[in-house]
Amino acid sequence: MEYVKRSNFIIKYVAGIGVIIFMLFLMERFLSGFWLTLFMLFGINVILAISLNITNGWIGFFSVGHGGIMLAGAYAAAFFTLPVFFKEGILDLNLPSFILHTQLSFLPALLIGGIVGTVIGIILVLPALRLRGFYFCAGTLGFNIIMETIAENIPEITNGPMGLRQFPPYTNIWWVWGIAILLIYITWMVKKSYIGRAFIAIGKDPDLAEHMGINLLKYKLYAFGLSAFFTALGGILWVHLILNLFPKAFNLILVFEVVAMIVIGGMGSITGSIIGAAIITFFSDVLAPIEEGFSLFGFNVPSMLGLMTVLIGVLLVVILIKKPNGIMGEKEISLGFFRKFLRTKQT
Amino acid sequence: MNYLLQQIINSLGFGSIVALLAAGYTMTFGLIGLVNFAHGEVFMAGAFTAYFILTILKLPFWLAILMGLVGSIIIGLLVERLAFKPVRGSGMITLFIIGLGVSQILRNSTVMLFDARLKGFTISSFLKGVYMLGEVMIFKKTLFIFLPVLAICIILVYLIKNTKLGIAMRSLSYDTQMAQSLGMNTERVIIITFIISSALAGFAAVSWGYIYGSVHAGMGVYAVVNAFVASVIGGVGNVLGAIIAGYIIAIGGNLFIAFLPPDLVGLRPLFVWIIFFIILIFKPSGLFRANIK
Repeated sequence: MEYVKRSNFIIKYVAGIGVIIFMLFLMERFLSGFWLTLFMLFGINVILAISLNITNGWIGFFSVGHGGIMLAGAYAAAFFTLPVFFKEGILDLNLPSFILHTQLSFLPALLIGGIVGTVIGIILVLPALRLRGFYFCAGTLGFNIIMETIAENIPEITNGPMGLRQFPPYTNIWWVWGIAILLIYITWMVKKSYIGRAFIAIGKDPDLAEHMGINLLKYKLYAFGLSAFFTALGGILWVHLILNLFPKAFNLILVFEVVAMIVIGGMGSITGSIIGAAIITFFSDVLAPIEEGFSLFGFNVPSMLGLMTVLIGVLLVVILIKKPNGIMGEKEISLGFFRKFLRTKQT
Repeated sequence: MNYLLQQIINSLGFGSIVALLAAGYTMTFGLIGLVNFAHGEVFMAGAFTAYFILTILKLPFWLAILMGLVGSIIIGLLVERLAFKPVRGSGMITLFIIGLGVSQILRNSTVMLFDARLKGFTISSFLKGVYMLGEVMIFKKTLFIFLPVLAICIILVYLIKNTKLGIAMRSLSYDTQMAQSLGMNTERVIIITFIISSALAGFAAVSWGYIYGSVHAGMGVYAVVNAFVASVIGGVGNVLGAIIAGYIIAIGGNLFIAFLPPDLVGLRPLFVWIIFFIILIFKPSGLFRANIK
């Protein structure tokens, strides 16, 4: 009996991974150019939204400072993946020589960037955890601005506002969706485990959670560590897709889009975050060409830069007013959800 | 010593702007717990109205000030009616996200309709020039902005301390439900508060135009961050505290870069956040008493 159960389990996993690999293979085969980039951006947005959801949705500490974490991780990884001739010859960055003379492949760079992002995220959160509610939001907003200002003002290391170029195009569909699916799997498992229940308990009522014997500081740090690690990975993937990194890349507008994703999808829901990411990706990347103006039946529509941010803002405000819990609320769409749905239909 | 004095006097202009914004900010903050991140865009709306009156239509300056106030009040009330009223009472974080959304909407619509470039402000001739006080130089425009702002601040503090309206506002900030059940028209008080805070933002906006000589779509961000930090330092809801903290922030920011080596001048935005963290960690209730008291 035990043996049968375990084999079912293994078959489920093998089949699931097989289906995912097959789908990605088909995507890579048949999508190209704009649509392939779009699919990768969607994956990156899924990573960002789910990892922001861990802190904002589950433990209820509303951070708008994840742009700073992305910036730190992206710069840390960039120093390792930039070609040697560009770092040393053209820019002459003031880095330690072992960094200047090496160019790593993507996996070690991702790990280094992720760890730097996590460390920065935890340094951010240690003083900010003393703040509560809205003050925490404001503090993390400040963190975002602080990181941006620092990156702009040390030109001998970061090349200042000019930014870095000449990245090797490492990001492909396998990296993006591999990490996205790993993240979805990890968060799904965490949500069902003791740690995830502790996170959600802290989000519902921190005082009660503490009385139930949950170590608040420990679990907040776990949540921020996990969130910061994957946010940094998202930033690194983004940089190696766009092939450009400058201090204003992850400013408040990007953070605002990610916040819009989780608010629209429903705070605390993993599937909600994916839906929100899909909606915002549609708005900010598919509809973006409208901003540049076009002509329709001989009628010239002028260029309207910033139209998409306006639309996302309107969507966000309307959702918050009409449906404050977002599309999914805290529910999830899973296989069990469908099964329950069918059963209620039959009876 | 002269250098120090000169720096302090130079920052009085920006200090007045921050003080007015922080006073408006702290009033809505104390009254309904609203962290109005769209206040910077209300401020920008006033500046753009004044810009149209002054530079495009070439009308006199007093009309620009008046229309700047009107523009700010209209945008402020619209934002309150359409965005903040439906979610009132649903927690600070929801209000914060809504404010962030509204501010993005307004800023990007301005970029869309006009553009993101600097717009020159026509400055009346009597505001040009300097007074010399010993070796210290005082710009006429700084003086002509600082004195009215001082008067406005005194009137505002008197209004909140001694008039019936001020008493109503204070009672509302203590306990909204109690005030309501004692028969107070809370809706009216909230609208009047929004009008006052938007009008202060409008005056600050016109001052910004005169001091820097130009306005642009992103001008609200920097000013509102300063004003927000000032309102936290001054004690949430304390108008006098916010005004004093506004001047402290502006003067401190100026001195911070005046005494740093010249290649670190770009670090100016860090100053307010350093102050913010220090205050919130060591004295979370602000330098002065919290609440409109």
